[in-house]
Amino acid sequence: MAEIQNSNPTILNAADLPTRLRPAATRKTEYGGIFTSALPLAPVDYESALSSDSEDDNLLEEPIDEQEIYDLISSISDPEHPISLGELAVVSLPDIEIKPTLPDVPDSPLQTVTVLITPTITHCSLATVIGLGVRVRLEQSLPSRFRMDVRIKEGTHSTGDEVNKQLADKERVAAALENGALMGVIAKMMETCH
Amino acid sequence: MSSITIKHLSDLTPPSQERTWLTSPHPTLPIVATCSSDKTIRIYSLTNFTLVSTITGGHKRSVRTAAWKPHMSGESVLATGSFDATVGIWRRWDSYGREDGAGWGMGDNKEITAEDTTAPNDIDTSNREEDEEEWRFAVLLDGHDSEVKSVSWSASGMLLATCSRDKSIWIWEDLDDGDNNFETVAVMQEHSGDVKCVSWHPTEECLASGSYDDTIRIWREDLDDWGQVACLKGHEGTVWFLDWEGQDSVPRGISSGAAAESDLSTLQAQWRTQISLSGPRLLSCSDDRTVRVWRRQPKESQQQAALSSAATGIPSIIRPMGTDEIWEEYATLPRAHELPIYAVAWSKRSGLVASTGADGRIAIYEERFVPAQNSEQQQADPDAMDTTSGDGLTTPLRTEWVLVGIHDGAHGIYEINHVAWTKRADRGSGAEEEVLITTADDGSVKVWTVTR
Repeated sequence: MAEIQNSNPTILNAADLPTRLRPAATRKTEYGGIFTSALPLAPVDYESALSSDSEDDNLLEEPIDEQEIYDLISSISDPEHPISLGELAVVSLPDIEIKPTLPDVPDSPLQTVTVLITPTITHCSLATVIGLGVRVRLEQSLPSRFRMDVRIKEGTHSTGDEVNKQLADKERVAAALENGALMGVIAKMMETCH
Repeated sequence: MSSITIKHLSDLTPPSQERTWLTSPHPTLPIVATCSSDKTIRIYSLTNFTLVSTITGGHKRSVRTAAWKPHMSGESVLATGSFDATVGIWRRWDSYGREDGAGWGMGDNKEITAEDTTAPNDIDTSNREEDEEEWRFAVLLDGHDSEVKSVSWSASGMLLATCSRDKSIWIWEDLDDGDNNFETVAVMQEHSGDVKCVSWHPTEECLASGSYDDTIRIWREDLDDWGQVACLKGHEGTVWFLDWEGQDSVPRGISSGAAAESDLSTLQAQWRTQISLSGPRLLSCSDDRTVRVWRRQPKESQQQAALSSAATGIPSIIRPMGTDEIWEEYATLPRAHELPIYAVAWSKRSGLVASTGADGRIAIYEERFVPAQNSEQQQADPDAMDTTSGDGLTTPLRTEWVLVGIHDGAHGIYEINHVAWTKRADRGSGAEEEVLITTADDGSVKVWTVTR
């Protein structure tokens, strides 16, 4: 991060970003300082409901929709600018999709969250870090029944396939989570998350 | 479709509280080693499914992989690979603690009853101090630049192969000099991406590796030099895991509509003469959601292929030169997974193949002979997936792979990272009965029976 890659990004007005009438943030766990926002984050409340065996508890789990995913990741900061991924339009609501992971198993609770990332410039070498930040944020916030599919939107990055392969590699992501320097960057990006 | 039932037998308790990556069954004793993200290796008994000991203090990051050295007697030797880029070698006398009945839990016939449910934790606590002496840390193999992904002992136990995200494979020779010395025999760097797995041939000094570069490579020693003898292309994603067919394995099934059962032994005899020329086949699984079987062309037909390509003027894709081998894709197994497939296991006893992965599903496949008349029809169809194994001398034998069992949500909502076959060892089990062991993201390890 010695030199800024995109010194003049396009910024959307925060007031124009998609949101619910009721601010989603009020329901979420409050995170403390930098250490609590680093790993591991406290799971969001509905996680405990899911891990319970009781069927009644399962019914209490609020359905998670695309807006909720957007709220989780749009507040992540760009690693270069103190501006959120939502304001930079790196993540956007139409590029988030939730669908059943196993369509042929109707009672399977597994769901796949697909997030397409649009880097601010096509050769941005920080695309992997941004993608990793989004994936880590989702893994820490969503119940384990969600599978993450975080990818660079087609045609928006010169080495998109390469970045996508890294982001999809469970083993690499797990190893990155144990890399202190990298996680310091990710934790900084998440300081602005509610 | 399902002619096989996968039934939960037991969990291994207590589980790790963090992700577990792989569970390696001991070659002779009824114990397994489970690798955990909590930096420890947990040794469980297969006789009572409880924790025997925990190896701690060796690795600074997740333990990703482990393998037991074969042909040891009186002592167990375990190699472990970690995200901390090192490989640890651990030793334990098999007689350790046997006097007081702790041992490996083998002579321990205590049944697990309701009153005993707190016992594993108590044992765990009281043994903690002993554990440090129980497992003797022998040596740390230092050489890789980044996370070690897989370790494998050769059939003789003389060689240890290790691989890493640094794209290299190291071969170490266990000098067995009583001083825990290992010598670096070779460093191979042909892969262009992380090397995810290494696996030795069941009898020969021949190594297979799978990689993030989507290829499988075969390595052999030629005049003191280790080198690549084949590069197998076909997978369209990271090759996550490899396993070899058993040395004397033959297909055990015959497709329905075929002639009488008595034909099976004839077909198997024919199979032995045709397939023994190329040796055990290799099984692979990938991020591309496929499981594939690879077969080496026997040397004679390899030469024939070279000759015929010279005659027809059509150049062969891989020109056999020197020690090079031609490996061909023998079959793609029926699609059974929606997400990356992290592990496959080829039973040395039953010939059944098991696969598992991110979709939390266990799938079982069986190889069956296809009746001759069917195979003729299919050969007439140029688009048919041809798995002909003929050598031109007799009627080529054909087989098909059939999905015979599926178990969804085997570890609930969690991804399954590893699957292995091993001999069943709990009370009431049959002599040669096998169980499946699966290892998952939530730290749980489960034992399954597989029955018809």
